[in-house]
Amino acid sequence: MVKIRYILLAVLIVTVGIVVVFYFLPSEEKKVRKQCRLLSEGVLKSPKENAFTMLQKMKNIGALFDEHCELKAPSQSLSGSYTRQEISTYAGSARSFFSQLDLKFYDFHIVFPEKEVAKVTLTARLTGRSTTGEQVDETRELECILKKIEKKWLFSAIEVVEVLKK
Amino acid sequence: MEPTYHDGGMNFCWRVPYLFSEPKRYDVVAVRFAGSKVMLLKRVVALEGEQVEFRDGKLFVDGKEVKERYVLYPCNWNLPPRWVEKDCVYVIGDNRKMPMENHYFGQASKNRIVGVPLW
Repeated sequence: MVKIRYILLAVLIVTVGIVVVFYFLPSEEKKVRKQCRLLSEGVLKSPKENAFTMLQKMKNIGALFDEHCELKAPSQSLSGSYTRQEISTYAGSARSFFSQLDLKFYDFHIVFPEKEVAKVTLTARLTGRSTTGEQVDETRELECILKKIEKKWLFSAIEVVEVLKK
Repeated sequence: MEPTYHDGGMNFCWRVPYLFSEPKRYDVVAVRFAGSKVMLLKRVVALEGEQVEFRDGKLFVDGKEVKERYVLYPCNWNLPPRWVEKDCVYVIGDNRKMPMENHYFGQASKNRIVGVPLW
């Protein structure tokens, strides 16, 4: 009877352990989503943003990218390989055209085609107001490749999907 | 798609027609623009293998002018000829009063055509 009690206790502990690991240890998919969330936080801009916050955000955005990242956005005439530093500077310059900016990601579809490589297809919605007072509301489908480098998922390619090709 | 469909109006997408057949010329179709929820309503004006161009706001397909009775607002668009690739259709909205650069149109993969508006 005592033996059965010990076995039941062991089974219970193992079950609880599996549940804890499953729910509380972030999966690779959650880590990839987190990088996307950090990117959207980096892009976020409020009208009251000061220079210090702006510099911090530029730095944070750069840190999310691989040393070289392929960017492809035909509608913005953006195509090629950019360094982390160039992306950070480009992001800072692009943000300066807006007084208010918000980037949200939806409809995540994440696959891992190779070890330490994640391919993410998502919907990105950029809303805000330019410094000249124009409203911005753009939605696009993005395809991103993230690579796991030194235990961190970093963006190594971002492509704006061209659904309608003129 | 003004004036055929109004901006911000509500509609439903009927997916059945393209399960059994291909999009046809002049069909108004829902194009999956991003993810599974963001759709655009556009009209099919040319099919794969055809040549499309705009001359002074007039649409030409394979060199012949297309009379577009559904377009109410004149435009002055000019677009050099281009071929519609395999497994694609060329779609344009009915509202041509905006500059060409601001209008979403072009060839879309048939995989992106999800259905037709219900009404």
